[in-house]
Amino acid sequence: MNSQFELIKSSGGIDEYRLKSNGLRVLMLQDLSTPVATFMVTYHVGSRNEAIGYTGSTHLLEHLMFKGSRNYNKENGTAIWDELQSIGAQINATTWNDRTNYFEVVPSEHIEKAISIEADRMRFSFLRDEDRQPEMTVVRNEYERGENSPFDVLDKNIWATAYQAHPYHHSTIGWRSDIENVSTERLKEFYDVYYWPNNATATIIGDFQKDTTLSLIAKYFGEHKKSDHEIPKVYTEEPLQEGPRRIVVKRSGQSGITAVAHKTPPGLDVDMYVFQVLGKILCDGKSSRLYKKIVDQGLATSLFMYDFPFKDNGLFITYAFLTPDTDNQKVEDIILKEYNDIISNGVEDSEIMRAVAQIRASVAFSRDGSYAVASALNEAIAIGDWQFYTSYVEKIELVSAKDIKRVASKYLTEDQSTVGWFIPKNKTK
Amino acid sequence: MKFKKLVTKEEPIKGLTSYVIPTKVKDVVTISGSMLGGILYSDKENPKISSLVSAMLDKGTQKNSKYELSNKLESIGAEISFISSNRHINFTAHCLKPDLELVVELISEQLRSPIFPDDELDLLKKRMIGNLEISKDNTKKQSYINFIRKVYPNNHYNYRSTIEESIQSISLVTEKDLKSFHEKTFGLGSLNIAAAGDISNIQFQDFIKKYFDSWNDQNINSLDSAIPANNRTQAIENKNIDDKTSSDVYIGQSVDVTEDSDDYRNLMMGIYILGGNFSARLMQSVRDEEGLTYGIGSTITGCGYGTTGHWYTWGTFSPNLVEKGIRSTLSVIDKWFAKGVTERELAAKKTTLNGSFQVSLDTTSGLIDKILTNAEKGRNISYLDNYTNKINVLNKDEINRAIKTYLDPKKFITSIAGTKI
Repeated sequence: MNSQFELIKSSGGIDEYRLKSNGLRVLMLQDLSTPVATFMVTYHVGSRNEAIGYTGSTHLLEHLMFKGSRNYNKENGTAIWDELQSIGAQINATTWNDRTNYFEVVPSEHIEKAISIEADRMRFSFLRDEDRQPEMTVVRNEYERGENSPFDVLDKNIWATAYQAHPYHHSTIGWRSDIENVSTERLKEFYDVYYWPNNATATIIGDFQKDTTLSLIAKYFGEHKKSDHEIPKVYTEEPLQEGPRRIVVKRSGQSGITAVAHKTPPGLDVDMYVFQVLGKILCDGKSSRLYKKIVDQGLATSLFMYDFPFKDNGLFITYAFLTPDTDNQKVEDIILKEYNDIISNGVEDSEIMRAVAQIRASVAFSRDGSYAVASALNEAIAIGDWQFYTSYVEKIELVSAKDIKRVASKYLTEDQSTVGWFIPKNKTK
Repeated sequence: MKFKKLVTKEEPIKGLTSYVIPTKVKDVVTISGSMLGGILYSDKENPKISSLVSAMLDKGTQKNSKYELSNKLESIGAEISFISSNRHINFTAHCLKPDLELVVELISEQLRSPIFPDDELDLLKKRMIGNLEISKDNTKKQSYINFIRKVYPNNHYNYRSTIEESIQSISLVTEKDLKSFHEKTFGLGSLNIAAAGDISNIQFQDFIKKYFDSWNDQNINSLDSAIPANNRTQAIENKNIDDKTSSDVYIGQSVDVTEDSDDYRNLMMGIYILGGNFSARLMQSVRDEEGLTYGIGSTITGCGYGTTGHWYTWGTFSPNLVEKGIRSTLSVIDKWFAKGVTERELAAKKTTLNGSFQVSLDTTSGLIDKILTNAEKGRNISYLDNYTNKINVLNKDEINRAIKTYLDPKKFITSIAGTKI
């Protein structure tokens, strides 16, 4: 093995290495099925690391990271998009609460190009004010597109109501006035605080040769030193919620939305696995409890719930997209009644077996293709333990009916709830 | 990789062609299939019949109720979905390797013996109408429908109904309509099934024979494709939708070209250079340099099965930047039309398309999608192996000639949907 790296651990076919010189973590999963590989760099910084005045900065910075760096820029004819798209790569970046990731899905023979570009922009991105000006309006249009959707608007409002002190209060895209006014200097400061090899994980999945690839990673990322400062920790904790909260959004639209949210523990808490199973029992598939009671009764066109595991506490939210003329209150009552039924009576073992089978299969489906694997692994990296990905099914299989009753009783209480309604007005003819 | 070597094509039953591609993915099998009977095969009086038939296939069969079907699938974590595209009834399934037989059995059962319960039809109609009501507020959908209705006459295959017309059609569909359509359309004849993943061809053939044998034959005629688009005239459509912070804009026109012609690929490449990806001209200029939009691109579509299609540019703009955005977009298009594409652009986009093709095969869904689409269009598997050659022989002069031949910037249709300011 390349002596510049040390092997830290292995799990589920994935090997974790550490580049000794600067602390860059590297995850590798070889799969020679097709001549394609995904290279991804995950920075352990997201909108969770922002505050008032610069909400949305992590995301705006992500956009500026495509505007050029020392070796890859328009001026010398090597713009990042041109370099990667000209070889047929799928390329993009995403930002969320706890992380920012940059990825390239490339024909295997072009892995070096992806590594070289990511290493270059890790420390040598231009971040020029003349680039921020037009990119700000691009991001503002992204924000505006999101605001077109009643769901997006309601979802933002629910998080902002449920979380008052913790930075999950604001959405990743940020508030409009912050997007418009944050300075380039503030973005540079953000970059210089968080974009370091010791605050990043490089992941490579698919068709590659291990030794060669480790050498390439050492060659390109090895030129960066470790940050000379400690990466700041987020210390803000959400105070205890002491009563139910409600939020109503009224806008032009055609149909209402009812959402019921409850606070959940951090992603690595063992109770999160229980929530994952409970979510399936309530909302996943035509046999699920709420589908039968809401969609099958013609009260909603569709229904879904999410309970993404985040680094800190999250939300367990059920959304019902109402059919025209359905009353928000009626659907809210049905959802809460079902929660209360689970608190009082628990669930059947057969429901758990079905939910576990659904999760087991969906995990297998999500390993179809190198990007799918990288994407799922990215979220595990974000919450603080990449082995969350490799041990997920095993932990899910341990969930019992007793666990579900306990977790529902503990978390799905009225005082921990935030209910959101979207009420349409001025229907379009 | 060569498709011809990877794919096993067989006709285990007359009127059913199977394509099997074993890959190294562990435990997972993806299945996709289709047969003629899509939206265009609905009765002329009601274009929604095919869509409702597809959506009702999981609502109960002669053997199993709706809940028995969903229970069987959900207890193994498998998924089966049916949908009508323009020409085909399509189905897709994902399952784990040990559950393949059950999934093939359930696909067959739902295709062969649905019962279309009246109460389920009423419920489905209510939900579909609800979704359509919601889409009245969708700026992208409204803009596209208005654009398409200017491009084509109402008997053209690429024409789209208004949302109100769709609601009216759905409300009129009866159980009898569904049963009649199913009886005269569903069966062997044009059925293609492709499966990829952790799968053995021999085993899959056994399942296909077991569950599809003795299904009735259907001899469905191909559609007459030679319907012309509307005469081109410059037009602007403007739809106001309140409280929207971003507007959707389509600019384009009909193109008198079909996928089978050499000029299709010339035009496709020219339009790809204009707006096929981030490094194409529209994104570079309107987004990257001017910051007017989050996304803008252009494509050519609707040219399959001998039908002539259209090209369009689509972008989103803040309501107060719509006019500026359209001016900027037209300026890029005008320059592209007048001066054509360059050798450098063509060389870059050739490698882009060839590389993208390779990358798209990274998943079982990507593989199957290519193979099934190829089969639906009646092409041999070797067509996929020759794809890169067809791209590599394109040349700049022919592309620029095709752009001049098939496009007319004086007769663009512009459709805007959003909040007027």
